[in-house]
Amino acid sequence: MRRAIIREQQARGRKAVAVLPVHYPKPLLTAMDILAVELWGPPGPPRGPDAGRLQAYVCAVARNALAFLAAGHADVVDGVLFPHTCDSIQGLATLAPDFGGWGKPCFRYIQPKGEERPSSRAFVRAELESLAAELAVLTGKSLETAALRRALELHTEIDRLRAALLDGRARLAMTDRELYGLLRRGEFLWPEDHLQELKAATGRLAAEGSAPVQTDLPIMITGYVPEPMTLFDHLRAAGAYVAADDYAGIGRRVLRVPVGEDDVVSERSERSARPEAPPRPRPVSDPFVALVRQSFEAPPCSTRSANQDRRLEYLVGLYRRSRCAGLVVHVPKFCEPELFDVPAIRARFAAEGVPLLYLEGELEADLSAQAQTRIDAFCEMVAAQRRRGGRAAGGTRGGATGGTRSGATGGEA
Amino acid sequence: MITRRVQYELIARAAGPLLMTINRWQGDLKRAVRRVTGRGPARKAAPFGPPLESTRKLKDLMTMHYLTGRYADGAVPVAWVTSGFPVEILRPSGFFTVYPENHGAVCAVRRMVPELSEAVEKQGYSRDLCAYARCDLGSVVTGKTPAGRLPRPDLLACCTNICQTVLYWYRALAEHFKVPLVLVDTPFVYGEAKPHHLQYVRDQLHELRTVAERVSGNHVAPEELEEILKVSLAGTRLWDACLKTGRTKPSPWTGFDSFIHLAPIVSMRGTEECNAYYRILLDELQDRARRGVPGIANERVRLLWDNLPIWFNLRELATLLAEHGFNFVCTTYTNAWAEAGGLIDPADPEGSATRAYIHVILNRDLPNKLRTMKRMCTEYDVQGAILHSDRSCKPYSIGQIDLKDRLAQELGIKALILEACHADQRAYASEQGEMRIRAFMESFDQATPS
Repeated sequence: MRRAIIREQQARGRKAVAVLPVHYPKPLLTAMDILAVELWGPPGPPRGPDAGRLQAYVCAVARNALAFLAAGHADVVDGVLFPHTCDSIQGLATLAPDFGGWGKPCFRYIQPKGEERPSSRAFVRAELESLAAELAVLTGKSLETAALRRALELHTEIDRLRAALLDGRARLAMTDRELYGLLRRGEFLWPEDHLQELKAATGRLAAEGSAPVQTDLPIMITGYVPEPMTLFDHLRAAGAYVAADDYAGIGRRVLRVPVGEDDVVSERSERSARPEAPPRPRPVSDPFVALVRQSFEAPPCSTRSANQDRRLEYLVGLYRRSRCAGLVVHVPKFCEPELFDVPAIRARFAAEGVPLLYLEGELEADLSAQAQTRIDAFCEMVAAQRRRGGRAAGGTRGGATGGTRSGATGGEA
Repeated sequence: MITRRVQYELIARAAGPLLMTINRWQGDLKRAVRRVTGRGPARKAAPFGPPLESTRKLKDLMTMHYLTGRYADGAVPVAWVTSGFPVEILRPSGFFTVYPENHGAVCAVRRMVPELSEAVEKQGYSRDLCAYARCDLGSVVTGKTPAGRLPRPDLLACCTNICQTVLYWYRALAEHFKVPLVLVDTPFVYGEAKPHHLQYVRDQLHELRTVAERVSGNHVAPEELEEILKVSLAGTRLWDACLKTGRTKPSPWTGFDSFIHLAPIVSMRGTEECNAYYRILLDELQDRARRGVPGIANERVRLLWDNLPIWFNLRELATLLAEHGFNFVCTTYTNAWAEAGGLIDPADPEGSATRAYIHVILNRDLPNKLRTMKRMCTEYDVQGAILHSDRSCKPYSIGQIDLKDRLAQELGIKALILEACHADQRAYASEQGEMRIRAFMESFDQATPS
């Protein structure tokens, strides 16, 4: 299906670029008539022998992506973009193009790590301009300000609708599988086409204030990527649904606060970082400023090395707002950014009395039987706790947390 | 504050040196008694050359460093620093620096990592995370350390030029100690560093100076920084010269020795004590090279080591190889502290520090790593390489499978990939590892019967 969509877009004169996880300036690509096709592995067994060029202790996302690229499965695209998500993807960004596995144009997008600082703001802008210049070589045309502005508006609208679907999950007459399937189509559809699908889906949202359509156990989920998607089938079979999402590939990429082109902050930051530099004239409004601000105002994400306190506050706030009854932490094995946040998440949610299930996976085609059993047990336990009228409902303090202590193998249902 | 300062100065200037002297006398006395009486532990014939005399001085130096460290907090500003951090910026502000990676190596040599790691694994830290990070966090949580005590930091300083893991690790430390964390984020270099990447690092170094002055309360004059950079550059060159003595045949020391003698350039870079030590070591190595005193008794095959050492297995591995006449004459890891530091230019502190610290081997692409390895193979005239595939260090290990093939194809270097971990012995199957190394060594004998 993706191949057909890519070919269709190429026939319209657009270029297609495969993009590794997680964060990248998608509006910039859209503005330059480039279809972004995201490569999250893909899941399942590696689709080629080159996975063996990476050690078994490197995450499945990087190993599968190398196998996929080197086996020629992505040859239909015109280039590949490696965002600097982690050490593994950073390593892959030199291994595949330099030592074999990818012969077409290769782009890298380096996102600054850590807290927002004057230096990092100035850097993001320069990095975006540099990427735009490199992409212009691929497309044969330079970036137009008006096109970037239109793309920003388009993606702001997409984010608004995605946020509406995720935040109104209890009122949305869709299964998790349907919803995630829809949201993930944004990983490869041309944004305007994806927008139409999202608009259609919002029609299935019941009016605000009406009784919830979803009556199963509301669960919050945090993790990297919703793979395998059968996870949602198992949750449903166990009587639960995802009421709040914090996957790096889904919820953490939905910008809930529209950002404008006000460049006051940026200008101040730049002056502070390089006070000796002469002031340079700026246009009155500048869409690049909005693009820079998007980098810093997205929900906190482990892969950006966000402030952990801020991330925990965000997660607890999301949990409470969504009136969840339990938390599933779903992490890919060997994923350092995610794994380093797990102890803090466990401690914080334990202090809140929230039942927690820890699942670790390797992009398998389906969940193991053991994981399925643990999901069943977790949901049973949360449901029993709810029936007892404990604290779980609404995520507020005050109820029992029997049997939910977070141990080394997680879960603890 | 005053009491702590007095204690600190007393230890650093009087009590510490006195203890070291007594310790040395005791050692000398024991050795003399052993010589006269012929008593003492039975020593089997070592496959090594005469031990380096400097090693005792190294022990004194590092013991003093950790000893004074016990009294540093409350007396002088203390910073915990990553090994690739531009520490020269901190030194003029008077920071006592602690290197958790160096401390992790000490814990690993003492085989303490599993115990320390388990303390944080209980909190949810995965065993798949870096063993240095787990060990250090475990040490912080339990208070256990072979150093007696580590001083509490006033500042945490990390640089992502060695990996991004250090940022997650130091963030956890910042949360624990509730102290500022300062980051130097170095964009990975593909080919050549882009101008805006260099500018980004330079801007951060500028920000760092401000933070260092604020935390320490000490204003730094430009000439003070310039002076530290001169010292640092001299130290780097001395270390480089020490390593280059390994080009002599036979090499006057082993790569395993160089791992041990690396500690000052990592932990005390930019200090006169560090340089004074390397002058002594260099003199000794050059003298041994002139006189043909070898690192191992019968050097037959010269090897390159890639990646961090397996600290907890250092002695066993060195002995196994030396017994068969195999010597590591160079390692990419120890070379890292000799290479990029040479870019430092005291006349251009921030600009040159930017270039030096962005161009470390771990922050550069695989073609650069291959070039470095090939150059070392040629300059040190090695016939084989062991690439330590380190479960705890993905950035160093990614690409090794291709590097091994290319070394074989392009230079005819026999190479072995040995999977282990630099610090956690639970992640190393020693018998299997030994078997692989024996098979590797046999392959040389089959090719060129000795």
